Amino acid sequence: MIETMSGLSLAIVGAAFAVLLAGIGSAIGIGIVGQTAAGVVTEDPDKFGPTLLLQALPGTQGIYGLLIGFLILQRTGMIGGNPMDITMAEGWLYFFSAMPIAFVGLMSAIAQGKAAASGVLLIAKRPEELGKAIIYAVMVETYAVLALLMSIMILFGI
Amino acid sequence: MPNSDRYAYAVGRIRAMETRLLDRGKIDRMVEARSADEALKVLGESEYGEYLADLGSVHQFEKMLDAELRRIYVELRKISPEPELINLFAIKFDYHNLKVLIKANKLAEKRDELLVPEVGNIPLAELIRAVSDDDYRNLPAHMRQAAEKLSELLRLEPDPQLVGLLLDRAMYEELKDAVDAQKSPFLKGYFTSLVDLLNIKTYLRVRRANRPKDFLQQALLPQGNVDMNKLVQLVEPLEVLVDRLMFSPYAQVVEEGIQTYQKTDTLTRYEKLADDHLIKYAKQAKYVTFGPEPIIGYLLAKESEIKMIRIIMVGKINQLPTEEIKERLRDVYV
Repeated sequence: MIETMSGLSLAIVGAAFAVLLAGIGSAIGIGIVGQTAAGVVTEDPDKFGPTLLLQALPGTQGIYGLLIGFLILQRTGMIGGNPMDITMAEGWLYFFSAMPIAFVGLMSAIAQGKAAASGVLLIAKRPEELGKAIIYAVMVETYAVLALLMSIMILFGI
Repeated sequence: MPNSDRYAYAVGRIRAMETRLLDRGKIDRMVEARSADEALKVLGESEYGEYLADLGSVHQFEKMLDAELRRIYVELRKISPEPELINLFAIKFDYHNLKVLIKANKLAEKRDELLVPEVGNIPLAELIRAVSDDDYRNLPAHMRQAAEKLSELLRLEPDPQLVGLLLDRAMYEELKDAVDAQKSPFLKGYFTSLVDLLNIKTYLRVRRANRPKDFLQQALLPQGNVDMNKLVQLVEPLEVLVDRLMFSPYAQVVEEGIQTYQKTDTLTRYEKLADDHLIKYAKQAKYVTFGPEPIIGYLLAKESEIKMIRIIMVGKINQLPTEEIKERLRDVYV
């Protein structure tokens, strides 16, 4: 299979991975927060607003993944209908440019989901501390952003 | 995916429910109320508020507590991803009911008002049928064996103490199996402390009643960490017991509890300290995000709260001085 693969297919595999893994991570993360929030809102419906805010936080990794996937497709000419002829070596570069956001996105979204779910528990008891709950969850975001940065740097360095 | 994420919804609900537990402030207001009526009114702004309208007089406060206990068990069985966890805590009500029924049936001690319906795992009707037909086949193994043995022994010698002795033993065996099945170190630790503290109390009581060593051995439960049989002899002074438990987690409870016991000759203080020790242990659950711990913690907090309201109400109805009621009150979970 490897012999018949062109550099372009490798680049597309990379793009798919970025969206796949980061998306899975975000879905799991948002799911955890959603479950916890549903528990809190069952008892206290007024908490819908603040819990929704926290639930949205682990969603960014999926968006970052999509962004990298999109950029790879754009730079290889897949978007626009003129696929470029890329060598295997270049294909690998595109492939690896997707890896930071794919893996860090996956793990950080789950971790952020847990932090945000704990934040939901925090505001169940102390609704006035919503800001702090958000900050704790946002701290995890740093690493997703760093991974996104590296993915972009590799991609534009090719 | 970690297994504990199953508890996400349950923990969310529990944390929100915890905000409605009675805090120290409300408890203090109840204690300082001038009359039983006034104490009950403090509960108006709490979860107990909905029952207050149906109470004819303060003397019916037990009805309110029963209703709340039932509500908590029904609710938690629904919320918990593992209903077995809640059933474990309901086992004690089955044994309690069985004790009351056997005493009524075999020893003519009729105290139907003590029965706790609709909380335990076994329907009360089933227990009534089992006791009146003397047929325990449908009951759980440990309970069945104990009940059959008990029914035989009572025919020879109608000793009410046997009922408690045999059924408690069976209950803690059943509890141990249930606790082990849950594979929760938190629950296991709680259960071990519960048994140990109970064994220390049993030791003190047996000693006070001047019972022989065999009786003590029969009464002590084997599921704890501290082996009282080996630790201390009945003839040794109580200071030895305090000394030997100096480096156990129960050091404080035993030291202060026994000091007060020697002075006042009652175990009230020890019981309070033991309960506080258990609630303190349960408080660890507050720092667990996902897992069975918060559910267990809430259940224990609620049971303790119900116990406290009972202490206050009984005290107020009997017009005990405020200080005396305060001494008996337990620490709160929140």
